[in-house]
Amino acid sequence: MSTRDKVAIHQLPTGVPGLDEIVGGGLPEYSFNIIAGEPGSGKTTLAHQFVFANATPERPALYFTVLGESSIKMLRYQQQYTFFDPAKLPGSIRFINLSQVVLENDLGAVLEQITKEVEKANPAVVVVDSFRTMVRKPQSDMDLQSFIQRLALFLASWQATTFLIGEYAEDELRDNPIFTVADGLIWLRQTAERNSIVRKLQVIKLRGQNSVPGLHTFRITNAGVQAFSRTFGLIGHLKNPPTHRRLTFGIPDLDKMLGGGVREGDSVLVAGSSGTGKSVLATQFIAEGIRHGEPGIIAVFEERPQAYAERATSLGLDLETPQKDGKLEILYLRPLDLSVDETMHSILDAVQRIGAKRLVIDSLAGFEMALSPGFRADFRESLYRMIFALTGIGVTILSTVEVDESFTEFPFSTYSISFLTDDIIRLRYVSIEGQLRKIMVVIKMRGGNHAKDIREYEITSKGVVILGNRLTNYQGLISGIPVRTDRLDAMEEPLPKPGTKSKS
Amino acid sequence: MTATPEMRDFAHRLLTYEADAGKASEPMDSPTLRVYEKMRQSLNEFVGVAGFLSLATRALALAKREAPSLGTARITADGTLQGLGEREPQLDIDRERAGEYPSSEGGIILIARILGLLRLFLGEALTFSLLRNAWPGEVFDDQSSANGRKA
Repeated sequence: MSTRDKVAIHQLPTGVPGLDEIVGGGLPEYSFNIIAGEPGSGKTTLAHQFVFANATPERPALYFTVLGESSIKMLRYQQQYTFFDPAKLPGSIRFINLSQVVLENDLGAVLEQITKEVEKANPAVVVVDSFRTMVRKPQSDMDLQSFIQRLALFLASWQATTFLIGEYAEDELRDNPIFTVADGLIWLRQTAERNSIVRKLQVIKLRGQNSVPGLHTFRITNAGVQAFSRTFGLIGHLKNPPTHRRLTFGIPDLDKMLGGGVREGDSVLVAGSSGTGKSVLATQFIAEGIRHGEPGIIAVFEERPQAYAERATSLGLDLETPQKDGKLEILYLRPLDLSVDETMHSILDAVQRIGAKRLVIDSLAGFEMALSPGFRADFRESLYRMIFALTGIGVTILSTVEVDESFTEFPFSTYSISFLTDDIIRLRYVSIEGQLRKIMVVIKMRGGNHAKDIREYEITSKGVVILGNRLTNYQGLISGIPVRTDRLDAMEEPLPKPGTKSKS
Repeated sequence: MTATPEMRDFAHRLLTYEADAGKASEPMDSPTLRVYEKMRQSLNEFVGVAGFLSLATRALALAKREAPSLGTARITADGTLQGLGEREPQLDIDRERAGEYPSSEGGIILIARILGLLRLFLGEALTFSLLRNAWPGEVFDDQSSANGRKA
């Protein structure tokens, strides 16, 4: 059979930001779907968004309400959402209350009533909210499975895309014959994680197309349900793939240590304890990018954008002007119940808005704290997806991470995420000659050569300044308590020739 | 608290429309019954029989406090209105055009009360949207322009 013989399934927009990506482009036209979940999980809101996105006067939507929430109260609350357009009622969207039929008759009468209304209106979309309440009425002549089978058959013939909304608990999913009838099954969950509510949705089943598997976080705002795909909406979007260009910090000695700078599209980790200058280095990285015409994003979690910009000013770095010019955005992401996916969404929006080439996340510890406790368990996995997605579109990421200073170890990160990073720059304090001084070393550069030097640096009014040559007259520098040696020939180690791989 | 002037004005507009329309039809119900029935049929679909019944019962209870002439009126189990006075006072079109109407007129108050409850729960835009099937657009347009003049 050639592809010309195959039927084309038209996809309808869900009206839910982010959900089209998750379901594989949109919901199949004429499909019979179930939206299931516990009370308050957003089922009705999701159905309303679909209805308002697709109903037209020519092909209206019929929204059957059964038992449960009163229609007036439902619309009283639903109209608070920005997608709700009262002008669409009743021409494009009709709400039909079936409670009397359900109370006085059996499911057969309900089916008859729906049939009558559908034949009269020729709708493109039909919603039954909530079909589950019908079966709780005893002594139904027709059981729910039979009702749903006949309804599905009828509505498919009438070319209607259908949603049944039902309250189901997690353990009712298994071996439930109702779900075998449906073409699509979208499950909404909400759980309390300590003091935060975590909402996740799953497309358990969707016939005819590839949906993104797994649990996707979603949020209900005044715009309705907004979903955040685990793939961050970047499936098949390899825009601006990274090149082998080197991006500099504007700190000549550091750039030299990095073999000319970090590779575009790399993920760079700057690790060090409090006060070692991680944020200063990050700010210089962004400022240098802006000097070279590369827009940047700084995602801050621990201080407000204004304070961040003022601190940069004290280092002679102007972050105000590029913000006004649309070359820089400082994102303040502080709410305590964020998911990584939501954070990512905010960052991606900003990246696309200004065409950012450099991104600073300052810091990973602050990022983790901004997440709902329920999402912290997935932090490493989410971070992996985030870094993979952003570097894939050519953004160079510099993340800062605070590490506990130890005199027996030399940790790079408390998150065991060094495998996620291409390049690691480690900053630390050392005790030398009665002073607490700072040293820096490039631990790793996945894409090329780097110096092995341990260099002393200071934070001055011009930012990070590397002092002198490598420290050759001390042993045990990385322990933080070096021992002075007699060697006085402090010399820089020559860099390997470009193109040869680092041994690290 | 009495029915708001805006809702009375709109109720009066609907009654005037039905009074005019009723002249051409047989049998001739009172304008109040005609408006009420249209609202009931229009809203039944949306809120269900029980939903409309509770709304109308509440509206009648409120309206009776303002209009003693509604004393014998009652809402039946299926939501229909019964017991209105045998003969409603004729609407004075000239006074209506001048923006005046007797405040004691029970029909206007009852309809205004139903509209008021709908507006309270659903807002003006959605209330008018739900009623657009029952009356022609100019009734609502007149309402909009009347509000505009008052503003």
